[in-house]
Amino acid sequence: MSIRHQITRAAEYQSLATLRDFIEATCKGHPGVDDQVLYDLKLAVDEACTNIITHGYAGMNPGSIILEIDLSPQKITMTVTDFGHAFEPCETPMPNVEAGLEDRDTGGFGLYFIYQTMDEVDYECTEDGNHLTLVKRF
Amino acid sequence: MEINMRQEKQLAIVAIIGGVDALTSGEVNSFLSQQIEDGKNRILVDLSQVDFMSSAGLRAILAALKESRQQGGDLSLAGAQPGVEKILKMSGFTNILKTYPTVAEAIAASGM
Repeated sequence: MSIRHQITRAAEYQSLATLRDFIEATCKGHPGVDDQVLYDLKLAVDEACTNIITHGYAGMNPGSIILEIDLSPQKITMTVTDFGHAFEPCETPMPNVEAGLEDRDTGGFGLYFIYQTMDEVDYECTEDGNHLTLVKRF
Repeated sequence: MEINMRQEKQLAIVAIIGGVDALTSGEVNSFLSQQIEDGKNRILVDLSQVDFMSSAGLRAILAALKESRQQGGDLSLAGAQPGVEKILKMSGFTNILKTYPTVAEAIAASGM
């Protein structure tokens, strides 16, 4: 049996802390969720939402972000929905984490962290918006 | 988020309190850059009260690290909580700058 929670916020940087707090309030104490799992969940959503705010609604009227969290005994499924420009995560190159300081690029870690912390990452563009589904198993 | 600073001889200890994300990382970037411009290019960033950091925070630290070394100084980190420690390792940052478990150990290692 799963339990679903949802929050909608404006796609602006001021919403990031609110979304992280929502994840903490929803997931903390759920069996299998320790402090590191909680951090991973917050990090993945924060990075995804930052990308949406920075790129997804670029050149458009300010939009919104919907975060749904589905809790089940074996996993947590988070779906981030926006209505901005489509973005294909798998087309973005991963950063070189072995690079020395001189060769370090300042960007690219957001998506990398999402893939490193989540067990499944799926992206779908539909008429009802862009849906990024993140699954964490335990 | 808050930023406090104290001087320990030639080491500027910058304590960040709260979360460093895309909203607040600009403030961290500006603060560290200003210290380096003011000649304080030996910086220790105290992360012991940082409960969340994203890639935006790493970008601010990377920019300050490059700037401090260009000025003949350095930047190190201390007191990272487990979640922040994990992103420092995931990103390979622990290979390009020094990190210490506590501020006291960082100060002792600096020879100040």
